[in-house]
Amino acid sequence: MKIAYSHLVQYIKERPSIEHISNKLFQLGHEHEIDDDIFDMEFTPNRGDCLSLKGLLRDLAVFYSVDLNQEVYTEKLNELELDFENLSESTCPKISFLKLEIDKVPETYKNSLDNYFTDLGLNKNNFFTDVSNYLSYETGQPTHCYDASKMNGKLLFHEIEKNEEFETLLDKKITLTGRNSVFSLNNYIINLAGIVGGKSTSCSNNTKTVIVECAFFQPESIIGKSVKYDIQSEASHKFERGADPECHDRVLRRFIKLVSEHANIKDMSITSFEYENNPIHQLPVNVHKINQIIGINITEDDYLNHLSKLKFSIDKDIIKVPSFRSDIKTQNDLAEEIARVVGYDNIPRSEISIPKKEKTNYKDLENKLRLFLLDHGFYETINSPFVSLPAEEAIKVDNPLDSNREYLRTNITNSLLENLLFNERRQKASIKLFEISDVYSSSNGINKKRKLSIIASGRVGENYKDFSKKINKKYLKTLFQEILPNEIFDFKILSREFLDTKIMNEIVSLEVDIDKFPNDILSYEEVSSHPSNFNEYRPISDLPQSIKDISYSVKDYSKIKDLSDLLLNYQSDIVKNVFIFDYFKNDKSEEIKIGFRFVFQSKIATLTASEIDVIYNEIINKSLDIKGITIPGM
Amino acid sequence: MPEFKDILPPELIKDRGSLHPINHMKDTIMELLTTFGFEIVDGPEIETEKFNFDMLNIKKSHPARQMHDTFYVENKSNLLRTHTSPVQIRGMLEKKPPLAFISGGKVFRKDDDATHLPMFHQVEGIYVDENVSFAQLKDLIYKIIYSLFGDNIELRFRPSYFPFTEPSAEVDILSKEGKWLEILGCGLVNPVVLENCNIDSKKYSGLAFGLGIERIAMLKHGVTDIREFYKSNLDFLRQFK
Repeated sequence: MKIAYSHLVQYIKERPSIEHISNKLFQLGHEHEIDDDIFDMEFTPNRGDCLSLKGLLRDLAVFYSVDLNQEVYTEKLNELELDFENLSESTCPKISFLKLEIDKVPETYKNSLDNYFTDLGLNKNNFFTDVSNYLSYETGQPTHCYDASKMNGKLLFHEIEKNEEFETLLDKKITLTGRNSVFSLNNYIINLAGIVGGKSTSCSNNTKTVIVECAFFQPESIIGKSVKYDIQSEASHKFERGADPECHDRVLRRFIKLVSEHANIKDMSITSFEYENNPIHQLPVNVHKINQIIGINITEDDYLNHLSKLKFSIDKDIIKVPSFRSDIKTQNDLAEEIARVVGYDNIPRSEISIPKKEKTNYKDLENKLRLFLLDHGFYETINSPFVSLPAEEAIKVDNPLDSNREYLRTNITNSLLENLLFNERRQKASIKLFEISDVYSSSNGINKKRKLSIIASGRVGENYKDFSKKINKKYLKTLFQEILPNEIFDFKILSREFLDTKIMNEIVSLEVDIDKFPNDILSYEEVSSHPSNFNEYRPISDLPQSIKDISYSVKDYSKIKDLSDLLLNYQSDIVKNVFIFDYFKNDKSEEIKIGFRFVFQSKIATLTASEIDVIYNEIINKSLDIKGITIPGM
Repeated sequence: MPEFKDILPPELIKDRGSLHPINHMKDTIMELLTTFGFEIVDGPEIETEKFNFDMLNIKKSHPARQMHDTFYVENKSNLLRTHTSPVQIRGMLEKKPPLAFISGGKVFRKDDDATHLPMFHQVEGIYVDENVSFAQLKDLIYKIIYSLFGDNIELRFRPSYFPFTEPSAEVDILSKEGKWLEILGCGLVNPVVLENCNIDSKKYSGLAFGLGIERIAMLKHGVTDIREFYKSNLDFLRQFK
């Protein structure tokens, strides 16, 4: 919600700066941004009472001298005769109507009404709607304006539970479904209560006689409706968070005052219906409890003084909660009020000491398995559980994000297969992944299984021993025989037949319940620990990469280190990775053959052959500067 | 020149894999919290409305319970937990105070944009004992944040709102660029929640906190797009070993 600094500060005697108010708002828990002297407020959902100029000033009054009394019409008002019936009193326990007739519709606005539209850069609508909108901004209470000339017949407030068409005053046609609270006129819906009015009875620039409805709706009857019907409604935002049931008379009298500043009022009358008394919530004065909750030592005088400034009234040992603070129900709520006033950052820390427990072996087996896989070059992944295709016993999401995410996965392997293909498309030669996750299914209730899934394909690794070896079933089997010689796992070769890929490498996978592993396999001594540091991430490129291999023949063995140092640490913006993929010691010819693979990739654009050649030739020239090294065939 | 037979092959660089950075962050935080005295408890990702909402004082009318915020499954009989708090409810129903639990894992909300994912990770903790105060909560949060970001980090507490805590706070840290970044939510356990778990709220009070793992991992590693974590791109995963 946007609130102008100039609108706030005019009611504050000290005239604080915008920064000063901003700091106090943060202290009170009201997050905001400031743009061009306007506070863009984001209130927590329990503080519906703050959704107005007046509401915010009520909170700021704890720090400043604030004058909250805007001028209202104070004379006695005639009783309005209105044919109205409320068939859902529990949804709308309090409602008032004001009928006003003016002689002429004003063409320009003045005072606070004008400032509202000018300072916040808002579009005007028609006079009465504009007054209503401003009043909602000033007081927090939404009102709805009906053109009185269109309001002939019996007005009914009721709940409907059938599908009905409804056209809003913003020309949007919606179909009401489910249960809705509405106002009807002669059996025709004219207002979706608390959310948006209807087109048929809306005010226009010609409206001279208005019926203003001012009501309290239970938040439960409003919640979710504006999202359901895709309607931007400030009124529903306020009603959802709880309006002040006791403000109606004052708000309507303020309405009259604002109108009277712009036009001559020819006639006016008011009527109110109250079906339930709004009980005043009360709590005992207990400063000891407040100090205990917060961990401070405030005096009772200061405590009660803070509460009075927040408009709580104190009657001997009883604290009466103001009608607009529906969020205050317990001593903890009061403690939060005091903590806000003191300032959370001013509350001193008090040493905490939680009784220590014996260390448990939480997921020990799982952790050791993860580290074991890491040691063998596997990377851990985490995948979303949402999938498109139903599997047997798959759990269906009632309200999926889209049809591609309608079910919960019943296996991890399919997710890993997608990860594998994703990395193959990015030219990864060796892909070894695993994931450990709970997997859910439904048969006679919901079943949970904790599973380990592994997938691997391509080269065993990127060093000169593993590079020439291809991953196959035997590779995975051997790996697990290291830790479980007697266990036979069901390793699978996944078919590539229906996969969108030209790569032919065998895909080997395993999916197994974690509880299939005996608890005592592996000890922490047998696996490397994971580094505890947190590396700074370097953004990655999704552009295609190119590969160049260079094979050297080395006769002067003392130069191998020079060559490796030069190439493995080669600095260039487009050299992404260098490794030795081949090493051969020819005993007969006493010659060493060593192959380096260069992976080229740019972060900016796809590399051209000539761009790569520039660096490639530079590498070759620099390496051949080392004596005793040749590139066969060059 | 050395003898040919003495020449050793180049160092064999074994490509070691890495833990997923989110799991690594989660494990690190859980490990840290166990040193403070918290005990790890686990719970299901598919929950009931009772444990995910009702017991936590999240009223039927609360926006979080709408179909556009929460994933429901099996004809609304169950839901995907929207936070790890239900695990603590289960813990409190099982054990008597003093108790100190943490739980961590996946949570689900019906969101999907550049800064929100339908699945993300949380670690939450709760401590219930006699005379637990907000001042103690502050001490604990300072200790957690100093352990994660160093003793020089500046932090601030702001009043906030969660139905299951009162008073509630959000905690921000000051980034290198001078911006306040929200890092965790916490508060004193709402007495209503204690009573829901058959704990005498006149005798006991509690503190609770919850951290979003992705947020902290992003800050610690300098990752700017949350979606990078879940692409399983080896170029990404390789950076965290």
